[in-house]
Amino acid sequence: MTSPARRGNNTDFYSGLLLVAVATVALLYIRTLSVGTVLEMGPGYFPLGLALVLMVMGLCLAVKGLLAEGSPIGSFHLRPLICILLSFTAFGVLVERAGLIIAILAQVAIAHFASVETRWRQSLVIGVLLAAASAVIFVWLLKIPVDLLP
Amino acid sequence: MTDVFALLGHGFAVAATPINLFFCLVGAICGTLIGVLPGLGPVATISLLLPATYALSPVSAIIMLAGIYYGAQYGGSTTAILVNIPGESTSVVTAIDGYKMAQQGRASEALAIAAIGSFIAGCIGTVVIALLGPPLALMTQQFASPDYFSLMVLGLVSAVVLANGSAFHAIAMIFLGLLLGMVGMDLNTGEARMTFGLVELSDGINFVALVMGLFGVAEVISNLEGASVRIVNQMRIGTIWPSFKALRGAWGAVLRGTALGTLFGILPGGGATIASFSAYALEKRVAKDRSRFGNGAIEGVAGPESANNAAAQTSFVPLLTMGIPTSATMALMVGALTLHGIAPGPMIISRQPDLFWGLIASMFLGNAMLVIINLPMIGIWVRLLAVPYRLLYLAIVVICAIGVYSVNNSSFDVYMTVGFSLLGYVLRKLDAEPAPLLMGFVLGPMVEENFRRSLITSHGDPMIFLQRPISLALLLVSVALLISIMMPAVRQRRVEVFQE
Repeated sequence: MTSPARRGNNTDFYSGLLLVAVATVALLYIRTLSVGTVLEMGPGYFPLGLALVLMVMGLCLAVKGLLAEGSPIGSFHLRPLICILLSFTAFGVLVERAGLIIAILAQVAIAHFASVETRWRQSLVIGVLLAAASAVIFVWLLKIPVDLLP
Repeated sequence: MTDVFALLGHGFAVAATPINLFFCLVGAICGTLIGVLPGLGPVATISLLLPATYALSPVSAIIMLAGIYYGAQYGGSTTAILVNIPGESTSVVTAIDGYKMAQQGRASEALAIAAIGSFIAGCIGTVVIALLGPPLALMTQQFASPDYFSLMVLGLVSAVVLANGSAFHAIAMIFLGLLLGMVGMDLNTGEARMTFGLVELSDGINFVALVMGLFGVAEVISNLEGASVRIVNQMRIGTIWPSFKALRGAWGAVLRGTALGTLFGILPGGGATIASFSAYALEKRVAKDRSRFGNGAIEGVAGPESANNAAAQTSFVPLLTMGIPTSATMALMVGALTLHGIAPGPMIISRQPDLFWGLIASMFLGNAMLVIINLPMIGIWVRLLAVPYRLLYLAIVVICAIGVYSVNNSSFDVYMTVGFSLLGYVLRKLDAEPAPLLMGFVLGPMVEENFRRSLITSHGDPMIFLQRPISLALLLVSVALLISIMMPAVRQRRVEVFQE
């Protein structure tokens, strides 16, 4: 926020690009839907309108970002981002294949590396506690149909 | 009038059943907890607990979720006063004079007026819902689809007003949300839309996965970026019950804050945060000696704290009577109701009297519980601040994962959460708030349906939105709101308010 960013390297430009990308993907898919007319709107009518508006807004933002100076984008911290996202993916992959307990332990193990402040002994205790508590609350009390162990 | 009291009596009968009392208490405690803990807002917490409400009846579920929302308003003030860290955005201004009071050894006075002010404001706000709800719902029942469409537009515009930062970004986020809301089966033809051939998407994008990714998980990732703040509380709280003499000066501020908060809660584009900022500004303006503000003026705590709680209660009015959410938290309530098979709208009061009157009555009980939870037990909450984030976040991610999975017992939803977490994180870095996106997503299907129906009845003439007086009035208000936030003077103030 303090120093103005260079042209083309600011939040306006990149959010514009993001919107254009989303709108393009949507438009490619909407091509397969019947659009219809105002009187008989097909399933594609409203999404088409929205995607077009999004496309125009994205282009405006991108052009504005190229021409004028804007606020710089925040810095990305890849370590927490990747570790947390991976930990969720691991949970998703393991929960049906290896059971809830292993999925939770794996998630905690990966999420442990998201922060530099974690201590492995504490994380281990938390992981075991969470696995035990989830087994009791979710599987025995709330009866979620999921296996505890492989 | 007598009718209202009879119905309220019925509401108390619903709210006072042991199970509903229990979940009201759970909500109030959870709300206080997240209010106290910085870095965990009500939107993230409510999305975390959404899956847990499946097992409950709709009435218990909504009572608990509402308790979290207004409970957070109480809890947020505690840390603002004691350690100068506002637990919620609504308590930011409370910290200014509240922390000063605590430094002067008047912590108990500040905490007491915050709790008492919130209680009075909560009760008055609840009465307003009870009185305003039924007539407003009756009025909304006259609405035809063009009017509904315009009402939704007004709801979406209010999301722009609430958003922090550029209005253009916020509008773009609304359209992105609307587009995401289109994913799934087309209501009229049953054709799959934008599902990319995935069966899992045919019912649309899972609401819980979207909210948890955008708000819950993305928030955890941003919190892990820097070194965590060690909070050391050396403040002695002393006796909790202060002399009533000390509180006497604050009654006016409580009532003014309540009035302002009640109004801001109902208005589109209002909400608890803006209400508390405005209340602080108002107190400063009406005070005889302005220099006291910033140096421990009790009005500076009483006004904003009353205002945010009143607004938290009355923001349920547009939701329960017209079916439009005016903030991200209310959009979550729409999601919660829909998950339980209840369509939010003017029919709730007449078709679901247990839900409407039970919720109102539970707000009275919940506010009373909160005073007890907050005042005598304050030491426990302050000690909670010592729980390090490195332990907390591990528990949060696991609960998130199980919660998302348990909605449909599908790993696909967990992967969706990963995608939306990434999107939420990127949007934060791009200064684009995810709240307007959520509003668009929730309202998307309703906007489309009413748009289609309107044009069918008008034989394709878009002028129908301008010909019907209700619709025209709503659209004019929307345009006026949009123009007002684009105006340089207001824009400047918005920036100031959000940066303070």
